[in-house]
Amino acid sequence: MSDRPVEFRGLGFAPQPVRYAALAAFAVLLAIWEYAGRAGLVSPIFLPPPSTIAKALADLWAQGLLLRHLSESAYRLVFGWGLGTFVGLAAGFAMGIWSVSRAIGVPFVSALFPIPKISLLPLLILWLGIGEASKVATIALGVFFPTVIATYAAIDAVPRNLIRMGQSFGLPTSDVLRKIVLPGALPGILAGFRISSSIALILLVSAEMIGAQYGIGAFVLQAGNLMLTDQLLAGVVILSILGLAIGTGLGQLEKRLLRWR
Amino acid sequence: MELVCEGIAHRYGALDVLAGIDLAVQPGECLALLGPSGCGKSTLLGIMGGLLAPSSGRVVLRGEAPASSLNPITYVFQDFALLPWRTVAGNVALALEHRGLSKTEMDARVADALARTSLTEFRDAFPKQLSGGMRQRVGIARALSVDPAVLLLDEPLSALDAQTRDLLMEDFLKLWLASRTTSVYVTHNLQEALRLADRICVLSRRPGRIKEIVALDLPQASRGSPDAARRMAEWAEHLWHLIRDEAAVAEREVANVR
Amino acid sequence: MFPISRRAALAGLGASLAAPAIVNAQAPAKTSVGVLRLSSSGPVFVAAERGYWRDLGLDVELKYFTAAQQVPVAVTSNDAEFGVTGLTAAFYNLAGRGALKIVASQARDEKGFPLTAYMATNAAYERGLRSPKDYAGKRIGITTTGSTFHYMLGLIARKYNFDINGVTLVPLQTLPNMQAAFKGGQIDGILAPVTLARALEADGSGKILAWAGDETPWQLGALFTSPRAIDTRRNVVERFIAGYVRGAADFHAAFNLRDAAGKEIYGTNYAETLSLVARAVQQPTELVAQGLPYIDPQGRLDVGDIYAQVAFWQQANLVTREVNARDVIDLSFVRGHMNVPRG
Ligand SMILES: Nc1ncnc2c1ncn2[C@@H]1O[C@H](COP(=O)(O)OP(=O)(O)O)[C@@H](O)[C@H]1O
Ligand SMILES: [Mg+2]
Repeated sequence: MSDRPVEFRGLGFAPQPVRYAALAAFAVLLAIWEYAGRAGLVSPIFLPPPSTIAKALADLWAQGLLLRHLSESAYRLVFGWGLGTFVGLAAGFAMGIWSVSRAIGVPFVSALFPIPKISLLPLLILWLGIGEASKVATIALGVFFPTVIATYAAIDAVPRNLIRMGQSFGLPTSDVLRKIVLPGALPGILAGFRISSSIALILLVSAEMIGAQYGIGAFVLQAGNLMLTDQLLAGVVILSILGLAIGTGLGQLEKRLLRWR
Repeated sequence: MELVCEGIAHRYGALDVLAGIDLAVQPGECLALLGPSGCGKSTLLGIMGGLLAPSSGRVVLRGEAPASSLNPITYVFQDFALLPWRTVAGNVALALEHRGLSKTEMDARVADALARTSLTEFRDAFPKQLSGGMRQRVGIARALSVDPAVLLLDEPLSALDAQTRDLLMEDFLKLWLASRTTSVYVTHNLQEALRLADRICVLSRRPGRIKEIVALDLPQASRGSPDAARRMAEWAEHLWHLIRDEAAVAEREVANVR
Repeated sequence: MFPISRRAALAGLGASLAAPAIVNAQAPAKTSVGVLRLSSSGPVFVAAERGYWRDLGLDVELKYFTAAQQVPVAVTSNDAEFGVTGLTAAFYNLAGRGALKIVASQARDEKGFPLTAYMATNAAYERGLRSPKDYAGKRIGITTTGSTFHYMLGLIARKYNFDINGVTLVPLQTLPNMQAAFKGGQIDGILAPVTLARALEADGSGKILAWAGDETPWQLGALFTSPRAIDTRRNVVERFIAGYVRGAADFHAAFNLRDAAGKEIYGTNYAETLSLVARAVQQPTELVAQGLPYIDPQGRLDVGDIYAQVAFWQQANLVTREVNARDVIDLSFVRGHMNVPRG
C-alpha cells in the first residue's frame, strides 16, 4: 500500500465571528430595495425606497423637528423606564426574598402582565390627565411587570449555598442581600433590562397616542394616520436606531458589570 | 474549643436522616465523619454549625474562643462557595468586612491567609480563572482569615481530581498541624480520613447513627513511615469492613432513587 | 358584447331613471366595495339589500373595515375595487399619488343634519366657551391629525376668521381616549359624533355648542375607485355607480326630507330602510335614527369643497405638494356636480 495523506474532513459546523457580513448583507438588501423602487417594480406607496426614507429623515432634521421629537421621547422613555424599573426591582426583590410577598405577588403579576397597556389608556387619561404623567405611566406600567419577573427569577437563581456561606461567616442580612443576592441576581436583572427597554420603545407609540404633539411615537402615528409611508418608515428607522443604541449601551454595561463572567 | 452533640436527630419531611447522634469533638482534635453518600453527614455538619435547626437534640460549644477569632465556627464547603464576582482577595475579605476591623488589620489578615495558602500572586484573579484545587485553597484561606475556633469541613476535596486531592490534602495537613484547630472533617473517602483524623466516627447508612468511633493513636506526621504501615493497614482493613456493606447498600439506594 | 352596458350607462346618467330589472343570461361581473359599518355607507347597504347591483349584472361583495383609513388603503392594494368613507388627509395622500379617484358623493354635512358636535367641557363652558368661534386659543381634542374632525376645525377657523394654528389640537387617536380626556377636563372641548355627543351631554359631562352641519356644510365623504378600474373596467364602474346612486336616492327619499320649518319628515319606506341600515351597521334603530347623514340623491359632489380640502391640508403641510385636486376626482360618471371650479 502506498502512502497517502489523510484528507481533512472536519470542515464547517464551527461558528466563527465573521466581520462585516451583516453590514454587507444589509447593504445588498438596501441596494435591491432601492432598485426595485426606482425601476417601478414596487409602488412607492407600498414600499418607499431607502432614498425617499432618507430624504424624509433629512427633511425632519432640516425642519429642526428631529431633535424635538427625540428629546420629548427620550424624556418619556427615561422616566417611564426608570420608574417602572425602580418599582419593578423593589417588588421583584420583595418577591424574591419573602415568601409572603411572593405568594401575593405572583398571581397579581400573572393576572396583570398580559393586559394590553393600550386598552388602559382611557383610564390612565382619567387618572393622570393627558400630560406627561399618563405617558410616563404607560411606559412604566409596561416595564414594571417584566422587571418584576426577571428580578425575582434572578434572585431565585442565586445559588442558595452562597447565601448559606455568607450566613456561616456571620454576615448580617443586609450584607447578604447587598453583597451576595444583588450581585448574584445582576446578570438576570440586566437580561431583564434588555427586554424591558424594548418594551419601553414599543410602548412609546402607545404612550404618545395620548395627545402628544411631538415625539417619535407621535410622529410615527401621524405619518400612519396620514398615509405618508416614507415618513412612517423614517420614524421606524429612528425607533430601530434607538433600539440598537439602547441595546449596545446595555451590552457595554453588562461587559463592565459582569466582567467576572 | 469543644463541640458537643447531644441526641441529635433530623428528618426532612418524612425522610429520617439522622437518629440519636451523641458526639463530643475534643479541643484540638481532627475528627473525621466517615459514611456513605446520603447518610446525613452534611446535615449533621449543618446542625453543628448552626445553619440547620435539628428536629431534636442540641449542640453545645464549650470553652472560650481565642480573642483573635472573629467567627468561632467556620465552614469549608465541598463546592467552594466562592462569589464569582469577587477576586480571590475579595472573597477572603468578604468574611472580614462586616467585623469592623481597621483597614490595616483587614489587609494584614487577607495577606496572611493568602500567604499561608500560597495564593498571594493570585489575589486579583477571579474564581473562574482558577483550577478546582486553587479554588478550594481560596475557600480554606477564607476560613483561616477569621481564626476559627472550630473548623467544619464538608468533603473539601471531593470535587477535585485524585492528584490534586493528594497535593491539597498534604498542604491542608501542614496548615492544620500548625494550628491544631478543633476540626470536623466530613468525607466518604477512607484514605483522607486515615491521613488526617485523630478519630474517625463511622456513620451507618440513612438514617445515620454512629456505628463506631475509631481512635488513630498515631501522630499524623508519622503515619507515612514504614514502621506505621502495619497499624495503618489494620485500621484500614477494619474501617473498610465497617463501611463496605453500608456503602454497597447505600449505593444501590441512590441508584434506585435516580 | 355586454347587452346591458348601454342601459347601465343610461342608469349612470341620472338616478331618477330607475334601472329596469334585467334578466342577465351571462354570469354577473364580480366586484367588491370596502365599507365601514356606519349609516353614512347607507347607499351601499340599500343597493346591496335591494338587489340594485344584481339587476345590473353585478355581483358585489361588501368588505367591512373598522377604521376609515383602511378603506382607501384596501382600494389601493386591490383588496376592494370600490370604497366609501370620509375624506381625510390620508385619503388625499393616497389619491394624489395616482392610487384613487373620487367618482361620486357620500355623506355631506348639511344644515339641519346633526352629525358632528362641537363640544365644550363644563369648566370651559363656565369660563366662556359658548360657541365654536371661541375655540380660538383653546385645547381641542380630535382623533388624529388629518382626520375629518381636524378639517372641521379648519372650517370653523376660516368661518370665524381665527388662526387654526392658535388652537392646540390634541390628537388622542381613539374616541374612548377623547371621552376620557373630556370627562377629566384635560381639554377644553372635543369634536364628537352625534351619539357620543348626546351621551356626554346627557350624563352632564359637557355641552354641545353647535353642529358642524349647521355651522359649516361640507363634503364629508365620497365613493372612490382606482384609476386602473376606470381604465380597464369602465363598464363595471358605471354599473356600480348606477346601483350606488339608486341606493343613495332611496336613502335620501327615506331620511333626508325636511318640512318648511326644517323638521324631519318620515320619507318613503322610512321604517323599512331604517331597519335595513340598522341591521347593516349592527346598531339599534333608535341610535341609527339619531345620526342619519345627508346624502345627495344623485351622488353629486361639492367639488369646490374638495379643492378647498386639498388646499387646507397642503397649507397645514399634511398633504404633499404634488397632489392636485383636479387629478383626484373623475367627474364623468355623475351629472350635475355642484360648485365645480372653472379652468
Ligand atoms: N433540604 C433537604 N430536603 C430534603 N431532603 C434532603 C435535604 N438535604 C438533604 N436531603 C436528603 O437527606 C439525606 C442526607 O443528605 P446529606 O446530609 O446531604 O448526606 P451526605 O452529606 O451524607 O451525602 C439524603 O438522602 C438527601 O437526599
Ligand atoms: Mg454531603
